[in-house]
Amino acid sequence: MTENDQSEKNGIVEADGGQLSTDGGERADPPRDSVSIPDEIELPRLLDFYELQDPEHTQIHEFYDNLREGSFTTTECPDCGAVHFPPRIVCPECHSDDLHYTDLPHEGQLHSFTEVRGTAAIGMTDDPPFVVGVVDLGPIRLSARIDDAAYDDLEIGDPVGLKIMEIEGPADHERVFYRFEPV
Amino acid sequence: MPHNVAIVGGGLTEWGERDATWKDLAQEAGKATFNDVDGIEPEDVEGLFVGAVQPERFAFQSHVAPLVAELLGVEVNKMIARTELACASGQAALRYAWLAIAAGQLDVALVLGVEKMNIDREHMPEMQSNMTNVLDREFDGVNGLNGPSHFAQFAQRHMHEHGTTDEQLAMVSAKNKNHAAETDFAQYRKHVDVDDVLDSYPIAPPLRLLDCSGITDGAAGVLLVSEEKAEELDAETTAYVTGSGQSCMASNSINNLPSMTTWPQAGEASREAYEQAGIEDPLTDIDVAEVHDCFSISEIIEYEQLGFADEGEGGQFIEDGRSHLDGDVAVNPRGGLLGCGHPLGATGVCQALEVYRQFAGDVPNARQVPGDPETGLIHNLSGSGSVHSVMTLARDPQ
Repeated sequence: MTENDQSEKNGIVEADGGQLSTDGGERADPPRDSVSIPDEIELPRLLDFYELQDPEHTQIHEFYDNLREGSFTTTECPDCGAVHFPPRIVCPECHSDDLHYTDLPHEGQLHSFTEVRGTAAIGMTDDPPFVVGVVDLGPIRLSARIDDAAYDDLEIGDPVGLKIMEIEGPADHERVFYRFEPV
Repeated sequence: MPHNVAIVGGGLTEWGERDATWKDLAQEAGKATFNDVDGIEPEDVEGLFVGAVQPERFAFQSHVAPLVAELLGVEVNKMIARTELACASGQAALRYAWLAIAAGQLDVALVLGVEKMNIDREHMPEMQSNMTNVLDREFDGVNGLNGPSHFAQFAQRHMHEHGTTDEQLAMVSAKNKNHAAETDFAQYRKHVDVDDVLDSYPIAPPLRLLDCSGITDGAAGVLLVSEEKAEELDAETTAYVTGSGQSCMASNSINNLPSMTTWPQAGEASREAYEQAGIEDPLTDIDVAEVHDCFSISEIIEYEQLGFADEGEGGQFIEDGRSHLDGDVAVNPRGGLLGCGHPLGATGVCQALEVYRQFAGDVPNARQVPGDPETGLIHNLSGSGSVHSVMTLARDPQ
């Protein structure tokens, strides 16, 4: 049932301004304003998974600066000796905020891994299948993408090495991130 | 606790891919909840607690507890909040309601869990992003980790360290999905056997499609009252909260998980709850357990941490049939998350409702725990598995 049918059924008659048609007494639709919604919007920067990495946006920019220069680092607390990952600005062990950056090994072993074969998140939809795993670097264990390998090629304990990716996308500075690959 | 607190009934929606909005689901479950309990009307509710994880992303709506108050005509004059603890949000809501009543602040609370997760198929990447962001987005989500790929690594390590088998994982799924086939609101109501599970697509190996719970729209509600109010209502069946424990390690990110085979926090949370409830041997003292089987491996690890099996023996526990309806402890008689689906904020609430219904004998015979169950447990994990919540329930007050 259209709105017009409903109006007729309810006996509503527009006093003026309504256009009455001559065939069968049905009214023509009055002109309506419309709201326009875009079919698509560009991926907002906030919905990509990579943080803005410069000093104006994050206080752990040194981690990203070091990675851009080719070193994999994280924060260490000189007061209590804790090594953190991800890097911090406050030590979770003793709350010192006087942390410094220390080098991490660039090679480690696969602690566990799987392959993402279903739908992936926004910005990664073309990526599956891809391997994700937990890499044991000694001082820390971290989760990471494992490139250049399929699930069936890998075993727990396999050696993997750091790989630095450049992130192309909507940011006004060069962004990087780490992955690992078999060595 | 100064005041005993009881669940006196509840209700829920059908779960699955629903042609319904977040608000529709909240209304359906709210109506069903009030319909189920004689003597409590919306105007009697003093506290409202809404478990909801991501309405901002799935339904583009925030401040949902007052929205529920509007939809159900509940004027809340004592306490209102939404709870968010990822997959344990429903149990968090139950826990707040329990504490508020136990502390003497209220006599009647409505707990409602609601989640709308199925948005059109074309938006599946949005759904995956939402789940991914439950962990540390900057250092976990960025790697494309989602639910199956996170828990698959626990399965892999458990198999590696303890010899757990694909068949044992599949036995968990088959058990729960066969229970769900008898559950009228469940998302998956087809009987499956171990081979069906093993033949399903390895979506995040070693986990297969049928090792995973669903993407589910659904809502569930229960009413909690003080013992005095329960007596006044002359409630036919009650499920008293006898203990409630939570434990969270100083971690959310996978980068700081000390183990990829177990969840010591589930052990700690359950021991806290057992101590409050006076439970010495959970295997003999608990008749029905609703545990968080978001993936088949989860239930196996939970057997070990909840005190049903020794560490590393969870696979053997299911293989020996000890978690079946007629086993040592009936685990997930409604079909768990694997069978009913997992509308995040609603899951914990539904688990409590199932324990209540088991006490009442108000479920089909095919999934009724035999022997007139009197004690129950609900368990939820959240996020990477760094947080665990356990609540024990009993038909009679302590």
